[in-house]
Amino acid sequence: MLSRVAENLYWMARYLERADNTARFINSVTQMLLDLPRGASFGWDVLLKVAGLDELYAQYHDDERESDIIRFLIQDERNPSSILASIQCARENTRTFREVVPMELWERINGLYLYVRDQAEHATQGRSQRYALLDGVIEHQQAITGLLMGSMSQDLAYQFIKLGRNLERADMTTRILDVNSAVRLPAEASAAQFARERLWVTTLNALSAYLMYRRHVGMDVAGASVLRYLLCDKHFPRSVAHCLGEIEDCLAQLVDYQEPLRLARALWRRLETIDCAVYADTERLHHDMDRIQAELGALHAAISQRYFYRYQPTVVAHTTQDQS
Amino acid sequence: MNHLLRDYPVQAFYDELIAPDGAPRPAARPLLDHLAGLPVGELAARRRAVDAAIMTTGITFTVYCDAGNIDRAWPFDIVPRILAKHEWMQVEAGLKQRLLAINLFIDDLYNAQRIVRDGVFPLEVLSGSQNFRPACQGFSPPFGVWAHICGTDLVRDRDGKLYVLEDNLRVPSGVSYMLQNRQLMKRLFPELFQSSEILPVDDYPARLYATLAALSPRPGVRPVIAVLTPGIFNSAYFEHSYLAQQMGAFLVEGGDLVVQDDDCVYMKTIAGLRRVDVIYRRIDDDFLDPEIFRPDSLLGVPGLMRAWRAGKVGIANAPGSGVADDKVVYAFVPQIIRYYLGESPILPNVPSWLCMYDDQRDYVLSHLDQLVVKPANESGGYGMLIGPRASELERARFAALIRANPRNYMAQPTLALSTAPTLVNDDHLEPRHVDLRPFVLQADSLYATTGGLTRVALQAGSLIVNSSQGGGAKDTWVVDTGE
Repeated sequence: MLSRVAENLYWMARYLERADNTARFINSVTQMLLDLPRGASFGWDVLLKVAGLDELYAQYHDDERESDIIRFLIQDERNPSSILASIQCARENTRTFREVVPMELWERINGLYLYVRDQAEHATQGRSQRYALLDGVIEHQQAITGLLMGSMSQDLAYQFIKLGRNLERADMTTRILDVNSAVRLPAEASAAQFARERLWVTTLNALSAYLMYRRHVGMDVAGASVLRYLLCDKHFPRSVAHCLGEIEDCLAQLVDYQEPLRLARALWRRLETIDCAVYADTERLHHDMDRIQAELGALHAAISQRYFYRYQPTVVAHTTQDQS
Repeated sequence: MNHLLRDYPVQAFYDELIAPDGAPRPAARPLLDHLAGLPVGELAARRRAVDAAIMTTGITFTVYCDAGNIDRAWPFDIVPRILAKHEWMQVEAGLKQRLLAINLFIDDLYNAQRIVRDGVFPLEVLSGSQNFRPACQGFSPPFGVWAHICGTDLVRDRDGKLYVLEDNLRVPSGVSYMLQNRQLMKRLFPELFQSSEILPVDDYPARLYATLAALSPRPGVRPVIAVLTPGIFNSAYFEHSYLAQQMGAFLVEGGDLVVQDDDCVYMKTIAGLRRVDVIYRRIDDDFLDPEIFRPDSLLGVPGLMRAWRAGKVGIANAPGSGVADDKVVYAFVPQIIRYYLGESPILPNVPSWLCMYDDQRDYVLSHLDQLVVKPANESGGYGMLIGPRASELERARFAALIRANPRNYMAQPTLALSTAPTLVNDDHLEPRHVDLRPFVLQADSLYATTGGLTRVALQAGSLIVNSSQGGGAKDTWVVDTGE
């Protein structure tokens, strides 16, 4: 497998997953707003901070209106992480390795791209159209993942797709969890308790995790158990621990995996020792999610170093493809 | 009477499918009868189906200037162009003869230059050649073959004869479209393929693989073969990707390859460096090796020429093979065939005037309104003058260009390119001009595609068939009529 092809496969998967998760992210926040009790407040700017895009946004905008922020996240091509830009990058990457993936992949990704390109303008005009578009993005992305799972040999190329998808997914799960740290709850205790519970339901919904949580954890939606579920559950596909497990599986099929594997294991072990009860303190939540993101970043760097740049005469920093 | 052919003009040009009396030619009769027998609306429905298939399978080509949308759907006409097998056998023999002689010629030019010393090929043509690579002198690749893949353009004139228009010996494109066109037709008209003797075309990728494998410096080992592409912005990127896919070869860019101190070429894989045995390059010489050619190029591989000359890697087409892909050299191919093979050329050249010779240039300058003038080394239909359609001003501009650099120009009569029925408005057929590009392979043996890529000028009256200039394509059938 050529290093360049491996890198492009990995990034294609990351971009697609990023688009999917950004869609989930915006949907969950919108949903949350509808459920917020009187006295609670939420600034749209939080979305930018959580996504790590606040500084970039500030270069183009003076104020933080919902419509501007949503447009920035969905269709603004000046934002390399916007849904449209991510899908476009996935599409361009796909051109470079058609010989190693199922024929239909290009068609599907192209279809997703045309869909977002044509619909994004309407979607930024109102919340209900927005929901339809974002739901469509999630649906398309799921079809692509299904296509790959159902008709691609689980060869080296597949491992790089899986690596990219799971790394991005783990990162985005921590970001969606982090939204909770940004809501200011009402002063009155019982209202605050109710609001907090609604928030965690919204988080589960954003990750399509609500029913699985109820089945495997219980009816009671409390912060600590939701966090434990989404960080540490070994069976739920969007939990950070599950993603790390998938990453370990992939690495085991490659050569020279020692360093990335060491980092993945270290993070995995740390997750297991986490005491989720302390996250009633949302400052701490934000801090710890940041830290997991940084460790995922280091894992990404180790993978790049090992497989993508190894025999390049000079190491080129891929800042344009990276999120932060 | 065939309703699709109502008002079909005949006799103005030679038509590939319709005889001068308005009746289908024998090889085309089953097809035209079948089309005419389809229920109303069926043809339109099938055309839409084929358009949808083109979109979904993503058969595209790239147009440089189309901002924002770098790939375009492949314009495809569903009425095939048909050649009778007995005619094709002659053409095929002619194509093989031509490539055989051209390769002897290229090998001679880089070595003894007998043909120049014997006064058959003028020294002044050689010394003015842009594509002669001094870096290739004194070298002879395996089998003495330089141009392994040749795309020869054929056109049929009013007299019904097929002429060679040019030989593309550097990085000829189009064969993937030939293969795709056949796939589309089989989906579209499966019933026709059951009832007629249409010769198959799909052995090309296997023959290309065998041709490339024969160049491996490590015989006996399964060779590592790579298709070297300039990247996704190249107009033929789809083809590069398609051929790599069909042959199970690696599709690489220059940056994926490195030449080490042992003069071997390696590709950078996730498990380290892996040796490459054969490179099917789709990059022009100029960009191939910045150590030898253009130092500013980022597309190629430093040291590639060194590796090739050391015999550590096979390259198809060999660097320097473009010396025969020169429209002035082309004019000498009939003499080249006679000189090396002692045979008469089977396929005629189009008569040509070389502007480097005073008398021929005078003729060209005084007949610009009747001639097509071509620069020696362009491709893709760029930089040409079609005299009869040009304005006074354009002709004057070309006259100045010719006077300034006579070696770079040659001229040919404007041919009355043959036509073939093409579906218009989904309900009737109109004649459109076509050409034909068969592909010929040579390494340890010779092979020619069955038929080739038929390109068609989709605009009424237009003679421009290049896809980069708005042309389209048809499937090409070589049909065994039992004659």
